[in-house]
Amino acid sequence: MIMMFLWILLGLVIFLLLALALNYNAMVQLRENVRNGWSQIDVQLKRRHDLIPNLVETAKGYMAHESETLERVMKARQQAVNATGLKDKQEAENVLSGTLRSLFAVFENYPNLKADQQMLRLQEELTSTENKIAFARQYYNDEVNRLNTSVQSFPNNIVANLFGFIRADFFEIKDAAEKEAPKVQF
Amino acid sequence: MPYSFTKIEEDKSKTITFVFSFLIIFYFLSAWLIAALAKNFLIMEGRSYDHNLSWAPLNFSETFMVLLVSLIVSAGHWLFSVQNVIANMLKVLDAEPLNPDDTYHQMFRNILDEVAVATGGNAIEGVVVPTMAMNAFALSDFSGRSMIGVTEGLLSKLNRAQIEAVVGHEAAHIVSGDCLGTTISTSIFALYNGLLNGITKLLDQSRYTRSSYGYRKSGDSAGGVVVFLLLIYLILMVTRFLSLLIRMFVSREREFRADAVSVRLTRDPLSLAEALYKISSRWRGSGLAGEELEAIFIVNPQFSNLDEQSGMLADLFSTHPPVDQRLAVLLDIAHSDLKSLDEKIKEEPSFKKSLPDFVAVKPQPATPAVPVQWMIHQDGAWRGPFSLTQMTGLNGLKPETWIRKNDGPVIPMYDDPQLRDLLQNRIPVTPAPELLNAKPPEVEVLMCPRCHLKLSPIYYEGGKILRCFYCSGVLVSENNVKRIIIRDEFTFSEKIQRLAQGIRETRDKWGQGTQHIKTANLLTCPQCNPLNVKMDHRFYTAAYPVEIDQCFTCGSIWFDPDELEVLQCLIEQRSQERDEKHEK
Repeated sequence: MIMMFLWILLGLVIFLLLALALNYNAMVQLRENVRNGWSQIDVQLKRRHDLIPNLVETAKGYMAHESETLERVMKARQQAVNATGLKDKQEAENVLSGTLRSLFAVFENYPNLKADQQMLRLQEELTSTENKIAFARQYYNDEVNRLNTSVQSFPNNIVANLFGFIRADFFEIKDAAEKEAPKVQF
Repeated sequence: MPYSFTKIEEDKSKTITFVFSFLIIFYFLSAWLIAALAKNFLIMEGRSYDHNLSWAPLNFSETFMVLLVSLIVSAGHWLFSVQNVIANMLKVLDAEPLNPDDTYHQMFRNILDEVAVATGGNAIEGVVVPTMAMNAFALSDFSGRSMIGVTEGLLSKLNRAQIEAVVGHEAAHIVSGDCLGTTISTSIFALYNGLLNGITKLLDQSRYTRSSYGYRKSGDSAGGVVVFLLLIYLILMVTRFLSLLIRMFVSREREFRADAVSVRLTRDPLSLAEALYKISSRWRGSGLAGEELEAIFIVNPQFSNLDEQSGMLADLFSTHPPVDQRLAVLLDIAHSDLKSLDEKIKEEPSFKKSLPDFVAVKPQPATPAVPVQWMIHQDGAWRGPFSLTQMTGLNGLKPETWIRKNDGPVIPMYDDPQLRDLLQNRIPVTPAPELLNAKPPEVEVLMCPRCHLKLSPIYYEGGKILRCFYCSGVLVSENNVKRIIIRDEFTFSEKIQRLAQGIRETRDKWGQGTQHIKTANLLTCPQCNPLNVKMDHRFYTAAYPVEIDQCFTCGSIWFDPDELEVLQCLIEQRSQERDEKHEK
């Protein structure tokens, strides 16, 4: 009788250990995805910071009167480059996005500039980078969402507390024309 | 896990088992059948001749031998098809690597990188197929290499947001792993198609050398030709059978799923809908090499009635669902997408303020003054809401721009009466230069078959044609086309010459295909509009494969922008060549 009880206990322990291992591995995977997502955002932000001086340089030749706008963009860029930590970065990138948007609005008044081949290429690169930032953020936030849900729900939260898995922060950019995730239904 | 490259690893072994076991079963069954036939009708015949046909199946050891042989054959076939899958497929499709100096290719490269970022950051290679047809495909192999290809026609005729949506759809095939299965099984059957093409080419060559140069003795290879023909016929049968089988592997559902994942990645269902509509209503590449590979394309290059049907038979044998259904699903998603966006905008204080306070001041708010406002969809994003006066000042509005009035459905701009008038008023009323003794201008107003707005008359190469202000397409009567083609008042821009060059290369490379293009969405003839006569979508002639739409009833031809010029350019180049030949 006791023998049987021991066997059942052993079985239970093995089962629990297995479940623990699976849980742990799943969470490690999630954490890696979040890190990967963050590094993707970082790469693209850096790319944006590298492109902006070129853009400003090209634009200068055409728009001498708008030097103030151009300076604002460069200043915002410098701040974004210097920013460390998620919250600061968010803040700085939001400012940079705002100044860029006003710069593009000003471009509309310079037909010569819009026709410049170099400018067209730069604009394509910048559009692409903006999209990449948006997609990287989307991927990152999706993964953060999954990690956070996983860390908080039972029984994963026990494992999470045991091994120090913590919630990650979302990367948010305030943007009026933000695309919402559509609900997919069939 | 909706999209990740790790899933490919899981699917890999499944694909291997599935395709390999299919090959073994296929070869085993056919080898068994052949062996049994041989045993019964070749060997038995020699021994004793009796009239009652008896069927003796193979015994155990014979079956074992057959199994062994089929194992070896399928292993050989497998190894042959799996080696350099992507390279082989690209050869069949005649795809080229991207040129970094080309702005279109650079944009495509950027879009690929963007979508790769959206899927978690694994590299996707890009290739282009130099043809005017519109289509896109995805390939991936066991080494984890993945590739998305588009045609030049697609790159030039779709805008950035639409290309992004198409690439998203293809990336969805790659990350969901069904691209691997399709690529491998297509590659397996491509062996037969390769054989078939090779033999056809050989036969063509032998016929060509004989008929045009005549230095072959007649009857020299008549027997050889017969054997060839028989062989071709047999192989044709096998491939037809196999391509039927491949259709059974490829579920139509995966196209829906890929559409949905594309929407998840790019958050832009309308651009995908637009792209699908455009691709499906134009030449998708039927008649080109590589059409046996239909399963890997976004829209079946071959228009088939089966694809446009629903039902069990169509579900089983068709690789692509009806385009209309796909569009309906996407528009549905777009609607719900828009709803959430609407709510978000209404929550913002600026919108609340714009709902005027004086509604309360007025004693009778019997008819609550809800301002009529529109949301517009531009460059893959929703803008707005705009009032009618604001809309009047907006630039870049096109008749096919998607709009949404207050809480109404998503419709193209030409379907909204108020906005239609707005667009109509933008068309400059330039009195067409009348000839001295011309007849009084006709009063009838014809509508553009694409934009549904009135066409304005212009003179081109001395003939009067009708042109759409918005899409720049032209309607030409049948007689006028012939006149315009002969005249060469205008020279062609660099773009037209490049397009013409592209068409010539396509034609020289693939040979002259059929004249008819089957498509899903036919235009209505502006001239016969009251009768709702559909125009035929076809090539001008097989020798000048420019896509046109011609009405059977009145003979009028609709040319989309550049098509008329490209046709003229092609014909002029041809006659110049002829002159040069004569001079020699």
